[in-house]
Amino acid sequence: MIDTTGAAETAAAGRRRPAPRVPDNPVKLAVAAVFVLFVIFGLPEFMNLYYTGYLTLAAIYAVVALGLGVLVGRVGLFSLGQGAVIQIGAWTGARLLYATAQPYPVVLIEAGLVTMLIGTAIGLPALRMRGLYLALITLMLAGAITVILATVNFPNGGGGFSGYDGSSVHIPPIRRPSIAGTDPAYFRFAVVVGLVMFALVFLHLRTRPGRAWAAIRQSEPAALAAGINVTFYKLWAFALASFITGVAGAVLAGQSHYLYSINFTTQDSIILLAVALMGGVFNLWGAVVAALLMQLLPAVLQNLGVAYDWLTIVFGIGVLQVLTTAPTGIVDQLPRDIARLVLFISGASRRSTANQGSAK
Amino acid sequence: MPSWSELEPFIISGLALGGVYALSGVGLVVLYRATGVLYLAFGAVGAFGALIAWSMVQGGIPQWLAWIVCILFGGVVTLGYGTVFGPPLAGRGPLVRAVATLGLTLILSGAMDLLWTTSGGQARSLPLPTDNGGFTVAGIQVTWTQVIGLAAGVALTVGTGAFLRYTRLGTAMRAMANDREITATLGVPVRRVEAAAWFGCGVLAGIAGLLLQDLVSLDATTLTYLVISSLAAALIARLRSITVTFVAALVIGMIHDMATTFTALSNYRDMTPFVLAAIALIWVSRRQTVMSRSGEEAS
Repeated sequence: MIDTTGAAETAAAGRRRPAPRVPDNPVKLAVAAVFVLFVIFGLPEFMNLYYTGYLTLAAIYAVVALGLGVLVGRVGLFSLGQGAVIQIGAWTGARLLYATAQPYPVVLIEAGLVTMLIGTAIGLPALRMRGLYLALITLMLAGAITVILATVNFPNGGGGFSGYDGSSVHIPPIRRPSIAGTDPAYFRFAVVVGLVMFALVFLHLRTRPGRAWAAIRQSEPAALAAGINVTFYKLWAFALASFITGVAGAVLAGQSHYLYSINFTTQDSIILLAVALMGGVFNLWGAVVAALLMQLLPAVLQNLGVAYDWLTIVFGIGVLQVLTTAPTGIVDQLPRDIARLVLFISGASRRSTANQGSAK
Repeated sequence: MPSWSELEPFIISGLALGGVYALSGVGLVVLYRATGVLYLAFGAVGAFGALIAWSMVQGGIPQWLAWIVCILFGGVVTLGYGTVFGPPLAGRGPLVRAVATLGLTLILSGAMDLLWTTSGGQARSLPLPTDNGGFTVAGIQVTWTQVIGLAAGVALTVGTGAFLRYTRLGTAMRAMANDREITATLGVPVRRVEAAAWFGCGVLAGIAGLLLQDLVSLDATTLTYLVISSLAAALIARLRSITVTFVAALVIGMIHDMATTFTALSNYRDMTPFVLAAIALIWVSRRQTVMSRSGEEAS
């Protein structure tokens, strides 16, 4: 006879939803809030148009890096094809913006959904492969998508499915939302969209999918044994990453006004992975750092007259450094290094005062 | 539909291109089997070597010397990378080790853009003397470079196969492909065998770079990312069989070039390697998960 008294309560407790928690660290949250408020309201006032444009790109690419961070850092799926995913988002966004008069948020969501569908359709067969093979098949599919889009061309206001008119002389720019026509306003818009995407990912990480991903990353067999539907949650990660990358692509369409396939290269996908690894894939801030490395740093260097190619070399060295010594990226490493440096300096100064004291 | 006679020249050029893809693919597979590293910087190393050779020829240095330097450059850089970054990454999964070679790709690619700026817009070329000669088969002009491309692919596949089967070093490499730890226990100098594999792969990268710059174009970005096409051949062989790699490379080269004659397909011909590799991988994995051995997981 098995004693079942109390089993009902236990089950009920298991079903009871946990009360909404206070944030783990109010200080961290406050810092984040101040940072965000400053970025939205303060930053555009300081910046000239040159930097505003690049910061908008940084806000867009932070979302792309975030998607890659979810795949690499949370689930352990390396994708070498995110550069192609953003192209799908940009293409869809541009097509919808030319063809319809829908409000911007609707277009963004639609672009995200289309990208999500394509990303998931690609992910479904790819998920049968693991590790290296999965990374390589994403590289292959990205190559194929790039060739297709280079042939179909990005929409330029023409008709038909592709929306491309090769003979068009006067090309209308891709429209922006009526409230965000100017560059600073569009920057704010991109940041707000980015925030929503970060919140979406944050929500995922804090709930069931996040826990499932963590379990899968630790050990797939163990996750399977614990009753987690591994394929479903991996696919979910693909869907989420594709969705936010697609939305970012649509924002990119509005930012650049005109899209050309030569602006998207294979190297972009690789640099994207490089900066995402350098920024840190285990931390949401890592995506921000990655985007600043990829979009703002080149602008600063260009202003200083330094060739972009130096940065490519630095990214290469960064990848090797991250993979050999610091898998958590700049976001985790830098504070630790600074703390160590501060300790070292304070230790040294204490030692020197002690030495002076003993010399007296 | 184009007629057969229209297709013929593209079969020849496709075989030549496929031969060089085979050369690269076999190099990638051998290094992967011996060391567990998928060398994604293969194309960048070849491109760098080819550009060095171009500069040397521009500077009036005899061509044969420039070619040797190009090939040696590939070997030395690859061996250097393997010596420096092989050991610290040896304990990591194949994925991390492959991504690390992308770091080398970026370094080389940045350096190439710095040293040989593209802003001038002038097209570089380093014609090989084998372009001019040639012969005619059934009314089709065949250059010696094309012959060398295919011959190099064939010779290398056969040579590597024989090397792996009959020599001491080759046997050691095959043993390491099976189990590194046990091989080390048996007294095989693992590090030295690995160094030989790295150097050999680098030399192949140099040769491939030299041939591809003539068959395709001497452009840093193009040559760097051509490695993805040869990788497709290696992937179809699931990074194992050099014979399958060779056949797959020839098929990719031929389909790629033959697609030129079909107006509907012409623009999409660069998709050939990707599509074939994707189909092959999905086909192979339709029943089971593609995973060769332990340690294949991401880490």
